[in-house]
Amino acid sequence: MKSSRCLNKFKDVLQSANIDLDALRNLNWLGIPNELPSELRSITWQLLLEYLPCNADRQVKTLARKRQEYFEGVSQAYARGIAGLDQTIWHQIHIDVPRTNPGTILYQCETTQQCLERVLYVWAIRHPASGYVQGINDLVTPFFQVFLSFYIDENPENYDTSCLPKNVLDVIEADSFWCLSKLLDGIQDNYTFAQPGIQRQINKLKDLINRINAPLAAHLQKEGVEYLQFAFRWMNCLLMREMSLKHTIRISDGFSVFHLYVCVAFLDKWSDELKTRDFQGIMMFLQSLPTAKWKEQDIELLLSEAYRLKSLYHEAPNHLSRV
Amino acid sequence: MSTNYTYDYIIKYIIIGDTGVGKSCLLLQFTDRRFQPAHDLTIGVEFGARFVDVEGKKIKLQIWDTAGQESFRSITRSYYRGAAGALLVYDITRRETFDHLLIWLEDARQHSNSNTTIMLIGNKSDLESKRAVSYAEGEAFAQQHGLFFMETSAKTADNVEESFVDTAKDIYEKIKQGVFDVSNESNGIKVGGHLQPKTLPLNTDNGNNCC
Repeated sequence: MKSSRCLNKFKDVLQSANIDLDALRNLNWLGIPNELPSELRSITWQLLLEYLPCNADRQVKTLARKRQEYFEGVSQAYARGIAGLDQTIWHQIHIDVPRTNPGTILYQCETTQQCLERVLYVWAIRHPASGYVQGINDLVTPFFQVFLSFYIDENPENYDTSCLPKNVLDVIEADSFWCLSKLLDGIQDNYTFAQPGIQRQINKLKDLINRINAPLAAHLQKEGVEYLQFAFRWMNCLLMREMSLKHTIRISDGFSVFHLYVCVAFLDKWSDELKTRDFQGIMMFLQSLPTAKWKEQDIELLLSEAYRLKSLYHEAPNHLSRV
Repeated sequence: MSTNYTYDYIIKYIIIGDTGVGKSCLLLQFTDRRFQPAHDLTIGVEFGARFVDVEGKKIKLQIWDTAGQESFRSITRSYYRGAAGALLVYDITRRETFDHLLIWLEDARQHSNSNTTIMLIGNKSDLESKRAVSYAEGEAFAQQHGLFFMETSAKTADNVEESFVDTAKDIYEKIKQGVFDVSNESNGIKVGGHLQPKTLPLNTDNGNNCC
């Protein structure tokens, strides 16, 4: 789709007084080209996660109320300073945040790190069934970055957030918190004891690969490679570790609905390389996949393949059962 | 990267211990001889490999580096059984990582095979001014529980090589004494192809598959 036409279609949907989420979802799946204004993605994500109401009249009020609710949550949790926090949870988050995208200026500046710490801490104490699990720190970054892009013209990855006015930063933080919460609401059993959601997804990945690429499945089995050994991270961090942030953001347009199918297409994509390697070679290759050189086109190909697989198999569970 | 290289034995290791003690940095220092101060945090498990030489034998170490966070414990447990060597790591600057050793040890003993060689490692020995656990305490704990012990620095590489290699030496000793059933790969040891006809009954599958 040409980007001007695409922009107009988005505008049509977004400017209605009561936004049609299904229409938006379909449009969004085709992707938000990077040359379009970044606020488009910001608003679309907030709508699709049902953080921003579809009803235009309610949007301003709802956002103000949710943001206020978050600020109060922070004040309450931090009422007695760092010393008053649950030290186990806080310490874990505190040592993990600096290890989040360690090569990127945005995530290495102190202001960002403090924001992420608060978001993760408040989320963790409100969700005791799972608590904070490593990898959730990765999941918050696309939100933070996309919402930041709404307010700045520079490349967000090179941006030092201490340059932002405090009220703007607060809003980005609050919106990131709520969208992270909404995202995690749908996949919470990925992070509860023994991580059943992830186990289930990995089994489905295995079944689908058996189905669509039997020679690859046979090779992995012959070499003793277990899906858990490489795909655990794919599921736990929604492929964010396997892609650059920019591409992660594009993949996130589809959110978790397509995640399994993106993983299937992703593994299938490396089939030729994997089939020439032994156990060790496979593990080393899968751990540092050559995605750094990927262009947008590669991502688009991956996503359209995932979409094709989803249409083939998602509504047809019998296709999944082992032959 | 070429893995097409003959070996006498493959030995599987697992690295365990609290989060942030430097497990991944130890592995990276051992396999790549470099230090990365802000290492990505490990999710689930990661894999590394390197050759070492023990008594003229080419031994390939295949190492599972595990996530330290409690939430991943049920996942990482499945890696114990296939490991012939375990590196149990704590951080000499953080007392609680030493206090948790018993929990780790019980977990390891319960889920690994009884012949697994365990090396206790007090990492971050370069941070002497922040030390919270003395060398003597580490040594005493190791002695009490029948573990090998070393203090290492993944940053300066001090003792890193030794900790991996000494563990391999002990395992090789056990192999020579016949402690391990090396015909069963699930014990964490795999014998290289060209050794088998001379010293051991042939494996039924891929006996001549070098790597």
